[in-house]
Amino acid sequence: MADRVRSLTDVLLSVESISLSFGGVKALTDISFDIKKGEIRAIIGPNGAGKSSLLNCINGFYHPQEGAITYKGQRRSRMRPHEAAEQGIARTFQNIALFRGMSTLDNIMTGRNLAMRTGLFWQALRLGPAEREEIDHRKAVERIIDFLEIQHIRKVPVGQLPYGLQKRVELGRALAAEPELLLLDEPMAGMNLEEKEDMCRFVLDVNDEFGTTICLIEHDMGVVMDISDRLVVLDYGKKIGDGPPEAVKHDKAVIDAYLGVSH
Amino acid sequence: MGFFLEVLIGGLLAGVLYSLVALGFVLIFKASGVFNFAQGAMVLTAALALVRALDVFEQWHWPFAVALLSAFVFAAVIMAIIAWAAERLVLRKLVNQEGIILFMATIGVTFFLEGLSQSLFGADVYPLNVGLPKDPVFLLESLFDGGILVNELDIWAAVIAGLLVAGLALFFQRTRIGRALRAVADDHAAAQSVGIPLNQIWFIVWLVAGLVALVAGTVWGSKLGVQFSLSLLALKALPVLILGGFTSVPGAIIGGLIIGAGEKLAEVFLGPSMGGGIEIWFAYVLALLFLLVRPQGLFGERIIERV
Amino acid sequence: MIYREAGQYKASYQADQAIFPIAQDRLAMLALLVIAFLVVPFVASEYVYRAVLIPTVILSLAAIGLNVLMGYCGQVSLGSGAFMGIGAYAAYNLAIRLPFLNPFVCILLSGFVAAAVGIVFGIPSLRIKGFYLACATLAAQFFGDWAFLRVRWITNDTPSGSVNAPPLQLFGWDLSSPTANYLVALCFTVVLALGVKNIVRGHIGRQWMAIRDMDIAAEIIGVRPMYAKLSAFAVSSFLIGVAGAMWAFLYLGSWEPAAFDIGRSFTLMFMVIIGGLGSILGSALGAIFIVLLPIFLNQALPPLGAAVGWQISTATVSHFESMIFGALIVFFLVVEPRGLARLWSIGKEKLRLWPFPH
Repeated sequence: MADRVRSLTDVLLSVESISLSFGGVKALTDISFDIKKGEIRAIIGPNGAGKSSLLNCINGFYHPQEGAITYKGQRRSRMRPHEAAEQGIARTFQNIALFRGMSTLDNIMTGRNLAMRTGLFWQALRLGPAEREEIDHRKAVERIIDFLEIQHIRKVPVGQLPYGLQKRVELGRALAAEPELLLLDEPMAGMNLEEKEDMCRFVLDVNDEFGTTICLIEHDMGVVMDISDRLVVLDYGKKIGDGPPEAVKHDKAVIDAYLGVSH
Repeated sequence: MGFFLEVLIGGLLAGVLYSLVALGFVLIFKASGVFNFAQGAMVLTAALALVRALDVFEQWHWPFAVALLSAFVFAAVIMAIIAWAAERLVLRKLVNQEGIILFMATIGVTFFLEGLSQSLFGADVYPLNVGLPKDPVFLLESLFDGGILVNELDIWAAVIAGLLVAGLALFFQRTRIGRALRAVADDHAAAQSVGIPLNQIWFIVWLVAGLVALVAGTVWGSKLGVQFSLSLLALKALPVLILGGFTSVPGAIIGGLIIGAGEKLAEVFLGPSMGGGIEIWFAYVLALLFLLVRPQGLFGERIIERV
Repeated sequence: MIYREAGQYKASYQADQAIFPIAQDRLAMLALLVIAFLVVPFVASEYVYRAVLIPTVILSLAAIGLNVLMGYCGQVSLGSGAFMGIGAYAAYNLAIRLPFLNPFVCILLSGFVAAAVGIVFGIPSLRIKGFYLACATLAAQFFGDWAFLRVRWITNDTPSGSVNAPPLQLFGWDLSSPTANYLVALCFTVVLALGVKNIVRGHIGRQWMAIRDMDIAAEIIGVRPMYAKLSAFAVSSFLIGVAGAMWAFLYLGSWEPAAFDIGRSFTLMFMVIIGGLGSILGSALGAIFIVLLPIFLNQALPPLGAAVGWQISTATVSHFESMIFGALIVFFLVVEPRGLARLWSIGKEKLRLWPFPH
């Protein structure tokens, strides 16, 4: 796949000097980088480097002890998860956090939750406004189901789906919220080549068609080098690389970290 | 002042009795992560088995010491059978389910045991006499006018509870089985992978909890007579556990003391202005307020959730 | 074969999302309603009304209410008995102190009172989960027990401790006969159950289920835990309160606080577990089961015992009842945690193929 060359200027999210620790364990130390609007930013690094913790800070699940995050111009030192969702940040999880008791369709419909406004009384009646709202959102969700090619498992409870399909449903749920910033935590873990190619195609399409900014954590170097505009490299909670794939690929510190040379 | 001390001490001692029941909960929760709602029913069953066997043996004119010992053995055997059945029929089948499912299963066990023990052993009130003195005693007569009224039985209960806690602490810390129990409580799969037999461990835990229930039933039964309401003690143990933490043996004692004292003091000093009878809910509201401030109790472990 | 849905195409999302998308289900439900409303009143005896029909209908509504909280939203509650009591005493107070209000209006309004109290007692659920929450609901139960007995304002200072429901009438028609009681209870239950079913399949229901399945992920996709949990408590308490008021006015007639004690809470919980957590139909099935079982045991056990020479007293029957309930709870949790409702849908699956094996 050809290298992506784009000029992007606006900063959507910037992370300033974030430090996070749990008890005595320092998960992140003085991390700073930015994500430009419309780009695909990858976070890479060996296991335990703090990548998931970084994502968790961005969407408000963990609160860093130091530093601040500026999103869409607003500077915050701590954010609540549902605030992040309301501001247009959506994410998927490393260990799949789908609602196992519900079907694929219902799971993706929960992604539309923020846009659904009718109150208890109208819901109980289910005539007029409630029914119309439900149908409108069903249409939006069906577009996503078409996009992700999961029509055949619409009504299947997600607990019964194979791992690769569950990952796709989780992506669908994140997309349903029509986010401005999409955080993907190892979206291709455990997939074979064909599934990975499908997932790459979805990620690129989302970025192209909707202009969604994407920040993803990924271990597959081929995928990362191909689809991302810029990279951030973490090791032991510290940033050791930041830039376009070509530059980072040749950076000595990054190569050392991956080859395990003691440092 | 003397009156306040009397109520306080009475409350503390009542609290010790609650702790005895709570100890059984802690044991099972520590070793299997199951909140055993049936602990109260186990106290009832143990006490019923004991008192009826004792009655029968005394009717057969056995010497008191022999009758008592045999009755204890009989009750212990009954608790062993219950432990075996609980492990085999309930725990083994529900091993991978969430805590709430296991909790509801123990509610089922509660009802089953209540029905079984009452149909086997009878449903009346049976006075129990195992040789523990029940007389009221006046302490510290030199300090306070007339002395502080304390029931000798309550003092004996405190001593027994103390011995029990010391014994359990030794058991957990020093013996091989105790160590295995702590391993199982931490991580089932890991414990199995080092060769610890899960099923045997659970049987042992429920057996020990059953014996603790027997001790609790003996003391409570001596105090109140053996009757159905013993089973409702399980409900009172919940606030005790919330205060003390679900996994802590010393926590169960301290939680019991706080609840017992708090309840009695509230009833005597707050109760009259509220119409009386606040004992039935005070412990729970106290626990609730505590939960809002410190969800893991005084001695429990803080759980950090990962996504 | 009878149950095949072949040939039933859904041409709109509305049709696909209907409560009963399959035509056979719609017909069956219609038939059931016709029988319940039009046939039963002509064939049922007073005993059947008072022993089976009225309790089943009212307790179904209470079980649906508890299922909303436990089955759909995953919040444990051991205090449902007290909430039935709140509904009952609220309706009583409204009827006594505002005599111009029709008793049926009082029943409906009592639901709102119960909902308000439910929201207050639901606030702890924002910080506590699982069996800690069970303890908080026990606090509600015991506090309720005490308040109904000791707070004299609630019982209007009755010396005996028991209170009586007002006579039931609507626009001058006397509605105190068992048939009328049954029909009124049925109306309330069917209408409210329909409303709940609609809520549960809409976005609020999905929020509840998201909280139940994984509350952390739910918060991250934007579900506000406070709104979701408190709305579950509110709707649940509303239903249980209305059921409690109906229980008092339409079934008991006169009652004491003990009618709403912790035994009642356990009974409702058994209905929900055995019937199936997270299923409206299951709540009704559970209620039917729990109401019928003691009757069945009372009729069947003594003759069985006599056949083997064993004199079985009513006390023994109630012990057996406990044992059977307990054993059934464990059985259902082990074999089919989703209860009778799941067994029902498995049965329907088999019906689609019948008489073919596969």
